[in-house]
Amino acid sequence: MKKKFILKKNERPSLISAVLNWLLVCLFIIAAFWLSLHTIQATLDFTFVADFRIRLLKGFGMTLLLSLASFFTSLLIGVLSALGQGSRLQPLRCLCTLYVAFIRGTPLIMQIYLFFYIIGTAWGIHNRFLAGVLILSVFEGAYVSEIIRGSLLSIDSSQLEAARAVGFTPVQTIRNVILPQLAARTLPALTGQLASIIKDSSLLSMIAVIELTQTIREITATNFRLFEGYFFLGILYLCLTLPVSLASKALERRFYYEN
Amino acid sequence: MMILKKSGALILTAVLGLTALTGCGSKDGTAEPDQKTLVVAMELAYPPFETKDSSGNPTGISVDLAKAFGEYAGYEVKIENISWDGLIPSLQTGKADMVISSMTITEERKKTVDFSDPYANACLAILANKDAGISSIEDLNESGRKVAVKTGSTGYLYAQNHLQNAEIVALSDESACVTEVSQGKADGFLYDQLTVYRNWKNHEDTTQAVFIPFQDAEQWGIAVQKGNAGLLRELNSFIAEYRTEGGFGRLSEKYLGEEQKTFKELGFTWFFDFD
Repeated sequence: MKKKFILKKNERPSLISAVLNWLLVCLFIIAAFWLSLHTIQATLDFTFVADFRIRLLKGFGMTLLLSLASFFTSLLIGVLSALGQGSRLQPLRCLCTLYVAFIRGTPLIMQIYLFFYIIGTAWGIHNRFLAGVLILSVFEGAYVSEIIRGSLLSIDSSQLEAARAVGFTPVQTIRNVILPQLAARTLPALTGQLASIIKDSSLLSMIAVIELTQTIREITATNFRLFEGYFFLGILYLCLTLPVSLASKALERRFYYEN
Repeated sequence: MMILKKSGALILTAVLGLTALTGCGSKDGTAEPDQKTLVVAMELAYPPFETKDSSGNPTGISVDLAKAFGEYAGYEVKIENISWDGLIPSLQTGKADMVISSMTITEERKKTVDFSDPYANACLAILANKDAGISSIEDLNESGRKVAVKTGSTGYLYAQNHLQNAEIVALSDESACVTEVSQGKADGFLYDQLTVYRNWKNHEDTTQAVFIPFQDAEQWGIAVQKGNAGLLRELNSFIAEYRTEGGFGRLSEKYLGEEQKTFKELGFTWFFDFD
């Protein structure tokens, strides 16, 4: 019996014991949740989901679109900022360092208000979707920048010397030496970053971008099914973030073996 | 492994000890409750009805009203600051006994909670952008118009039901709604006359106020958990008595002296005037 629950060192769980353990833990969580609901005497009624399915679907699509658009834009910003931080041009270096420090040191909610109502208004960005993508990209770009900078730093300088010694041109060095290693080191983290973006995009409801969270807020504001609404919201976000997290794990494992 | 087991046993005894201790404590604590505590929930973000003073304590008309009721019915009143979306759920889950938060009595809300007799009434008004050319509610109900509302407020409900042609911008902050209008991102903001009046005074160069009533006055009530008939009875007799002995007049004097004068000049019904 004990063998089913406790692993020996370096042992991989058998299929049966893995399923058993997962099931047990899930059962426990559901029971605890159900008990909590029972204690406060709340009953859940999810019939509203059918009534609002079109709006929910639209919100879901909007969150997906926002996240993907922000993901690719933040990659671009992150790469540029990481390169800028290593640049020999002093002002560029300062700018990128300051950017990363400012964005990572302040809450997203403050940045959303600041960018939308001051910078957005001043520069005529009134489209909420566009503003949302830009704000989220600038925010996540700082984190992407740090991921890339960290990986660049971890590539040993002796490798660059070796590349020069074999007679590689700078382009060849980047293509054959730096990029493959960079990919292995950053891809898992960057994929994980996508999961963060999906969650962070919920804060754009503050400026009335009608994504998933805003849709649920609008619906619960009229039908008062707050628990059901947010419970359902959680499940929908998990539908997006869990596959992304699994992909990140898979990438991690793959590159771990390659190294 | 041995260490793990030991610390596990330690934690276990600690937990057991704690529960034993708190067990004793609660026995002593329940000895003699002189007064029943009444938890009153409100969103402290709507001056001068419910807000915080400079040191962070709850203050305002609703706070005074809650305290007056506590004195009247013999409760010790505890004010809980809960965000608007969470007010009705706080009653549903029994985290609060009543909600006094300038809440309009609506059919939809009545399905979930019970309301006292109305103690105040208010009309919606429009805070419009100065250059938007809004002179009535019909001007807002055109395609391409953007209407800012606070999520879950009666302005939000009105816009959903009556302004189908306009785009609704639902925000969680009143100040965000005002900013949208004063920057021209939204054409108008639907809220009660008093807030519209105050914000118009604050942004006279960018906004204008449209006070023409476009719906019947909304009535504010005190919400309690569905089926709490005892508390409701106490509340209703309190509201009637408080009104006849001039309590609402004193509250207006204390918190809204200047506005009351302006409202009279403009010919609006005052919050606490009932025919």
